[in-house]
Amino acid sequence: MSLKAKMARILVIEDDVATSDEIASCLAASGFQPEQSFDGRKGLAMALAEPFDAITLDRLLPGRDGLEVVRLLREAGLETPVLMVSALGDVDDRVTGLRAGGDDYLIKPFAPTELVARLEVLLRRHRRAGKAELMLQVGDLELDLVKHEALRDGRRIELLPMEFQLLEFMMRNPGQTLSRRMIFETVWEYYFDPGTNLIDVHVGRLRKKIDVPGEPSLIKTERGVGYIFNAP
Amino acid sequence: MRLRQLWRTTTFRLTVLYGLVFALGTMALLGMIYLQSVVYLTHRVDGILATEADALQRSPPQMLGQRIDEALALGGDKTNVFALFASNGGWIAGNLRALPPALRVGGRPVEIPPTESFPANTRLIARRLPTGEELVVGRDVNQLREMREIIGSALIWSGVLIILVGLACGTALSIGPLQRLRVLQEAGRDIAGGNLKRRMPTSNRSDELDMFAATVNYMMGEVERLMSEVKGSTDTIAHDLRTPLTRARAQLHRIQQADVIEPGEIARVTAEIDEVLERFRALLRISELEARERHAGFSRADLTGIIDEVVDLYQPLAEAGGVTLSAAPRRWMTVEADPKLLFEAVSNLVDNAIKFTGPGGAVEVRLGEDPARPEIIVQDNGPGIPATERMAVMQRFYRGERNRLASGSGLGLSIVAAIMRLHGFELVFHDAQPGLRAVIQCHPAELD
Repeated sequence: MSLKAKMARILVIEDDVATSDEIASCLAASGFQPEQSFDGRKGLAMALAEPFDAITLDRLLPGRDGLEVVRLLREAGLETPVLMVSALGDVDDRVTGLRAGGDDYLIKPFAPTELVARLEVLLRRHRRAGKAELMLQVGDLELDLVKHEALRDGRRIELLPMEFQLLEFMMRNPGQTLSRRMIFETVWEYYFDPGTNLIDVHVGRLRKKIDVPGEPSLIKTERGVGYIFNAP
Repeated sequence: MRLRQLWRTTTFRLTVLYGLVFALGTMALLGMIYLQSVVYLTHRVDGILATEADALQRSPPQMLGQRIDEALALGGDKTNVFALFASNGGWIAGNLRALPPALRVGGRPVEIPPTESFPANTRLIARRLPTGEELVVGRDVNQLREMREIIGSALIWSGVLIILVGLACGTALSIGPLQRLRVLQEAGRDIAGGNLKRRMPTSNRSDELDMFAATVNYMMGEVERLMSEVKGSTDTIAHDLRTPLTRARAQLHRIQQADVIEPGEIARVTAEIDEVLERFRALLRISELEARERHAGFSRADLTGIIDEVVDLYQPLAEAGGVTLSAAPRRWMTVEADPKLLFEAVSNLVDNAIKFTGPGGAVEVRLGEDPARPEIIVQDNGPGIPATERMAVMQRFYRGERNRLASGSGLGLSIVAAIMRLHGFELVFHDAQPGLRAVIQCHPAELD
């Protein structure tokens, strides 16, 4: 993880002070530089006035609705990644939020670690945006995105389509905690609770295929949270 | 207050309205009779007067005085007026002593009030004789006037009477419904006050109030059922949330007491809290599904595609659990549905089947035979659900032993049920002997 990424400035727009403080302290603990705004109007003004690396935005806000804030930001030409946070968890709400210009959607109640993880993925994706990658490489593991091939130390690994997508998602976010829900939502694109075991067995299978016996696994389990893909 | 209530009842208003219309009709009828008869009688009197005047005029002038006396003697001076006046207005003969000022020679007949010489209402005409004298012929019209009065008062009184009777009938007819309405109101207040067992009283008349009361009673039945379901589910949820929260609290307490925090202890507490959050999420999901607008996001969903995808998703889980998961021979079938939600429902059923079948078991996902009645069937050869519970599991928020043992939110079937309701589909459980056969009947209820 680069130092630059850890110093990212995050604007937290959230009207509930306790939640906002919780998010801010969690962000600070993860090495981010959080700034808080408690209503939509001021939040929008701050986002337009200063450069931020990412924004967490509550859906229901006094002053201006979260959807409107993100729409206005996008209209103003700002590309800052926006993580929408909301108690409204319906698929329709999610779609509306993402269509308005949000980059990801997190449903309350959430674990702060989940929020941080999603923000980090967003930041990484944002930095990467525009660069067409043909090949991902972490350590001696290579993923050829054109030929749809995975190679470990030059040895070809047979992967099912979903396993390939799972590995791609993990390799795009090395060193990053990825919750089971994030994995399910990004790789399978479903937004319901798949149950704990389901993602575990998929990751377990992938592990068996990409790991070298006797060496530590490339995919580390983060207890109670999810997984981290690490270079050996 | 009571009067105002009475006035507001439809029965009363209608009765009064009918009364008014009836009174107006009666009055119009009587008025017509009155007018016709008065005109007719007056006309007749005028004809008689003209005939008599003509007859007298034809007699020689010197005989006129005598003729008048004769006519009076014959016809009775009580009902007829015959009189002769000089051209200067002086009385010559007859039973009228002075010329009434309103009387014009050759003009229209006039009516004059009783005078001293003739004590009755009289209708008179005057003729000028060739001698310059004035002949006056008249007739007592008291009868005509009386008749006019009788008809007139009949007209007024009948109108008043009909209106009064109408009001009385309206009141009498409205009191019954009003009293029943009060009883219904009282029942309504009782229900609003929390007595959900109370029902609207009905008579056996099957009238509109009964129909309304029956509708309300049906509604109340539904409300009561829902309330008891909600209460039951609240109890279940409270229990389900209390358990992990109590454990988390106990663990936190232990951590607080201990000098050294054992590794993993915080993680265990976090896991407990996560479990609570997971259940909350599932509950929110159910309420979202319940509140969702029907048919939003619906399209033609390819059932085979859904089955294949679910099997792909759960294959590793099945293998890890030693369960054979297979999709049976395919046939192409589509149904109007939200594919993502249908996927979620099938996933839940497959997840359950894998969990409860256990090592060595087999789970098969297939489509029904009849293309006109698409069905998704998830069949396992596990322990199944006891017949007694099979109906109950489909109820909202029901959590049987099978459900309770499951990890995760444990509300999977409730979510499936909510998705079924949203689509108008049906989830049915059968005994697969051995095992359980869960069938999603994807045919609209109206086709059944």
